[in-house]
Order: sequence, then C-alpha cells, then structure tokens
Amino acid sequence: MALVNLNDVLSFTGNEEDSAFDDAKSSCMNFETSLNFKLPTFSIQNLSDVSDIATAPVDFLKQQMSNENNSRIAIKKGTTTLAFVFQGGVIIAVDSRATGGAYIADGGVKKVIEINPYLLGTMAGGAADCMYWERELGRRCRLYEFREKERITVSAASKLLCNIVYGYKGMGLSMGTMVTGWDKTGPGLYYVDSDGQRLKSDLFSVGSGSTYAYGVLDSLYDYNMSVEDAIELGTRAIYHAGHRDAYSGNTVNVYHMKKTGWEFIYNKDINELHYKYAAEAKPSTLS
Amino acid sequence: MPYDPHPNHEGFLNSVGSPIQHRFNPHTDNGGTTLAIAGKDFCLVAGDTRQSEGYSINTRYAPKVHELSNGSVLATSGMYADSVNLVLNIETRLEWYKHKHNKTMSATASAQMLMTVLYQKRFFPYYVFNILGGVDEKGEGCVFSYDPVGCYRRETYQAHGSSAALIQPFLDNQCGAKHQNIKEELLTLDQAMKITKDAFASATERDIYTGDYLEIFVIKKSGVTKHKFDLKKD
Amino acid sequence: MSIMSYNGGAIVAMKGKNCVAIASDRRFGVQALTLTHDFQKVFEINDKIYIGLGGLATDVQTLSETFRYRVNMYNLKEEREIQPKTFAHLVSSTLYEKRFGPYYCEPVIAGLEKDGSPFICSTDLIGCTTFPNDFVVTGTAEQQLYGMCESLWEPNLEPEDLFEIISQALLNAVDRDAVSGWGAIVHVITEDKVITRTLRGRMD
Repeated sequence: MALVNLNDVLSFTGNEEDSAFDDAKSSCMNFETSLNFKLPTFSIQNLSDVSDIATAPVDFLKQQMSNENNSRIAIKKGTTTLAFVFQGGVIIAVDSRATGGAYIADGGVKKVIEINPYLLGTMAGGAADCMYWERELGRRCRLYEFREKERITVSAASKLLCNIVYGYKGMGLSMGTMVTGWDKTGPGLYYVDSDGQRLKSDLFSVGSGSTYAYGVLDSLYDYNMSVEDAIELGTRAIYHAGHRDAYSGNTVNVYHMKKTGWEFIYNKDINELHYKYAAEAKPSTLS
Repeated sequence: MPYDPHPNHEGFLNSVGSPIQHRFNPHTDNGGTTLAIAGKDFCLVAGDTRQSEGYSINTRYAPKVHELSNGSVLATSGMYADSVNLVLNIETRLEWYKHKHNKTMSATASAQMLMTVLYQKRFFPYYVFNILGGVDEKGEGCVFSYDPVGCYRRETYQAHGSSAALIQPFLDNQCGAKHQNIKEELLTLDQAMKITKDAFASATERDIYTGDYLEIFVIKKSGVTKHKFDLKKD
Repeated sequence: MSIMSYNGGAIVAMKGKNCVAIASDRRFGVQALTLTHDFQKVFEINDKIYIGLGGLATDVQTLSETFRYRVNMYNLKEEREIQPKTFAHLVSSTLYEKRFGPYYCEPVIAGLEKDGSPFICSTDLIGCTTFPNDFVVTGTAEQQLYGMCESLWEPNLEPEDLFEIISQALLNAVDRDAVSGWGAIVHVITEDKVITRTLRGRMD
C-alpha cells in the first residue's frame, strides 16, 4: 500500500518537462540548499523595469563594485599567492590579508582552498568567487570520482573550473587562481582566471604582490632543491611581497603537495619573519 | 565631506548642453554598526539601532541584530531592506530544514548556508554585511563574518558597518592582545560586555550613523539573552 | 584614488597633564609600493613645538621647509621664540595663501604654551584650524585613530602613560590601514625635555 502511494506521488510530479529537475532533486535530498549546488541559478535583475534608461546588469555591477565608487560593495582585493613545482612535489605559499580600499578588512584569510585531499586552489581577486567556485569544483571532482572510479587529474579539474568561469565571462567574476594537485601523472600546477585563461607551468605567482615574489623566486628557484629549501623559498617570497606591497601581508600559509596528498606546513607571522631575516647576515651577491 | 579643490559645476556643464545621465541606484546604505565576540562557552553579538539615510535619521529604533529560530543570532549592517529580506529567506530555509530533518540546523551549518544564499545573488547582491554568532557543536562560541557576496570566515571577534574602521583596531588591541606583551586569550563574558559598551560609546562620538540604542545578544548553549542600553542620540 | 592617500601615513597628537605627545608612522610609499621606512613626517619647530604633516609627501617636505623659513624669520624679527598659538596661525595663513591651488597636506601641531599647559591643533588643507582639548588625528588611518583615541584617551595623563596610550593608539590603528605603518616615532614634550622614541611596528 505504501508503494502505491509513493507511485501516486511520483506519477503526479513526474511529468516530461520536470524530469531533469526531479532527477537532480532526488539525487540531493539530504540538504535543502544542495539543489542549488547541483543546478546553480542566479537572479540577474533587469533594471529596465525600474529605470527609464535600460542598464545592463554587467554595467550596473561594475559601477557597484568599482573601487573608485568608494566601494559600495568593496570586493576584497590585493594578494600575493605563489606555487611552484620542484623535485619534491609542489609548494604553495600565500599571504593572508584582505583589503577593501586601504582598509585592512581581515588579516587572517585562508587563501589556500582545500578542494580535496589531493587538490588545492589559491585565492586572488574576488574572495567569494574563489571560495564558492572552488567549493563547487570540489563537489564536481567528487562526482567525477564516483563516475570514473578514479581520482580526477589536475588537468581535468582545472579545466572544469576554467569552463565554469568561462560560462560567466564578461559578467564581472574576478578570480586568479592556481589549481595544484597530485594525480596519476605526478604533480600538477595550473593557473586559471576569470577571463577563461588556463595555463600550465612550473612556477606561478598571482596578485598585487606577485612581481616582488617573482623577483625572489626567479633568483633562488632550483628544480632539484630540497623540501626544506623549497618551503623556505616560498616563505621568503611571500615575506618580501608582504613587506613591499601594501595590500599583501599579515601571515604566510605554506602547503606542500606530495604523492600522498597535500600537507599543511605552517602559518607564520610576516612581521616576525621581518625581524628574523633582519637579524640574519645578508648573503653576498657578488661572491 | 572631503574638500574638493576643483569642483565640477554641473550647472555650468549642463548649460553647454552635455547630457546628464540619470541612474537608478537600487542599493542604499542605512549605516549602523555591528560587532561580535566569541568566548569559551558563549558568543556576544551587538548592534546599534539607528537607521539613517544620508544626513537624516529614519528611526532611532530599527534592530539590525536578529535572533534566528535555530538559536543563532544574525547581525546585519548595510542596506536595511535587503537585510530584512535576507533574514526572511534564512528563516524560511531554517524552517524547511527543520521539517525535512526533524532537527534544528547547527550554527556551523547555517553559516555555510548563509554563504550559499548570499552567493546566489552574486550578480545583484544583498547589500548586507553579515556577522553570524552562535554556539558550535562543541558548545564553544563561534563568530562568522561575511562580505556581501558570501565570502566568510570564522573569527573570534569582528566589527562591521559604518564604524568598523573605528572599532576593529580597538578589538585587535583588547580582544586580540595586539601590541601587548601578553598572550591572546578568549575573553570572559564580563570583559566582552565591557569592551562592547566602550567600543560603541566611542564609535557614537565620531560616527553620525551609529547611536541611539545598543542591543547586545548573549548566546549560550542554554539559550539567548538580550540586553538593551542607551547610546547618545545626537 | 585621492591625492591625499597617494603616499599614505598617519599622525596623531594628544594632550596630557603638563605634557603633550605627537606620533607618526614612518612609511613613504607610492600607492601600494613601499619605498622607505624612515620618512620624517613630524618636524621640530623649537623645543616646545612639533608639527606633523600628513598627506602628499612632496608637500610635506615643501611645507616643512616653508615653516622652518618663516619661523626663523619670526625669531630674527621678534627676537623671541614663537608660541604654539602664534605658530598655528602662521600655519593657517600659509595654507590659506594657496586657497585655490592648495598644498595637499593636513597638519597637526603639538606644543607647550608659556605657562606649561598643553596645546594641540589641527587644520584642514586650506588652513581651517581646530583646537580640541583631547586629541587630533590626520592621515589615511584617520578613522582607525579616532576609534582608538576615543577608547583609550583619558584626561590628565602623565608623560609615560601618555606615551603608552599614544603608541598603542597609533600602532593598532596603522595595522588596519594598508598604506600606513612600517614603524612609528613618538615625541612626548614636557616642561624640561622632549622624549623621542622610535617604535617597532609591523613591517607589512
């Protein structure tokens, strides 16, 4: 009898048009909002309804979020993040400052997003964009694992993210992220941004302090360096960026990507690093 | 108002015949300040009650700290209309969750939900700066701080709104023990209350958008208590 | 970006009991780029008056030289030291001379008057003076400084207490401002001496 009732319900809701929706709904019944993860929907206001002059939503958003507009909705910007591949895997190092204009809104942001035990993403640009879409990426990677019975490659994962944000191109998403991981092909490192650009390389730095970080990385990077040296290099590069760039700083977070997945190395205060490095003898560049 | 040495006289330009663009601005800032401090077994969430627009005060009592049905407290600042709608939206979801799962949503789960709710409106955001305070599964106080489009983080103390820049360094100093040669420790409820009242009294002196009344919610495992204090009304 | 926040910086002055203190950060930067951390923004006028110049760095240096010249001329003509109140009006009129093409600089003045009572003053960039009886602030961390000072300051502080309060106010304020900081300097002016100390601030 119970089954009959259930069938009634199914036949009542299961019309042709809604079947895809119901399929999605039934596959994620455990939590109210997960349906929104499955089928993300966004309300895009048509402002011509309320104004004489039709205003494109993209223009509107740009005006709302521009830094010149004394930030009605200030997006957290200003960052230094870096990642590089070396013989021991990948080192990921980031700062932890979030600014709205010159105001430091938060000094303890986690700019490394732990997608799953084998994948990390970094955060630069719009903090919420990175946070939301890399969370969504984590979900899609998990579904991939269920379907394919193996872990997703870094290449595929980064392309998933790239394709998502490309679908929103021109609508004002802002993210510059590095997707790193370890898969069946070894360590992987990709740069993905909200323009839809996706690049593969051994060394990246992203954000307002990236030029300072590149300066340190380019002069000291060596593929065959030890894990300890690589961690120290990542830390130093972020420190120098934090010291010179007003919009980077506070603390350094370092992660190490290994065959067994990522490992969180440490969180260090950039100010304490400054006085530690200042007390050390300066290396001679001419010897 | 910052001094402008090269004022752009619109009337003069218009007499030349250049077009003026009118633009509807759906977002407005109603001012106000909110603050939250997490303790060992409690969470304190506070906000003033003034609601303003430009140089006028709309009302002296428009509470922007909302007690939610799951025992958490949501402090909202920014645009008041958006915050009312946001709270309604959140309450609906809390209710549906209760019917579906036969339990109330935990503070940490509602924190994640709030992020999703805010990001759903990424392209026409709720112009609201949120702080969610509650008690987590371990019975410890938790504070979650958000930007308007849903980026959030767990903090031990946070100030938002028109006086955020005035109060936040004070909290860094008093709650975070910054520039003091002592170890950072979680505050007791008495200390947190005292700091909150001091912070709002100071902010009221210098910020025209903050004042009238101060509402403090204290969340413990046993429930929520509400306190109301006077602030300057000038 | 406003020209007043092109270089960044934060200055604060406070009254105490028969003493007065003035403090500034030490950053010189161009927008996000930090160039030096030993930039002078507070200048000695005489052993009882100090002036802090916040705003555009080129005008900070130009104005400091202008004031040095004008105070020297005053001393030579009058054959006496300038008093804080007189100096404040000198500053005000110097700024107002450039009413329609101003220096992008908002000074704060701290000094002790002839009778040993504390004097503080701030002006806007075209010379409108204010003489509060607690504290004055200027610079990009203005809001943060107001919040700190309003919470920490109390009347009749002794020199050492005043030093602690002004240091805490400045250090915590600039740590919430991206374009100020990188160390600080504090001067506490008392009847018989000026205590000058540099502070180790956050270097990021």
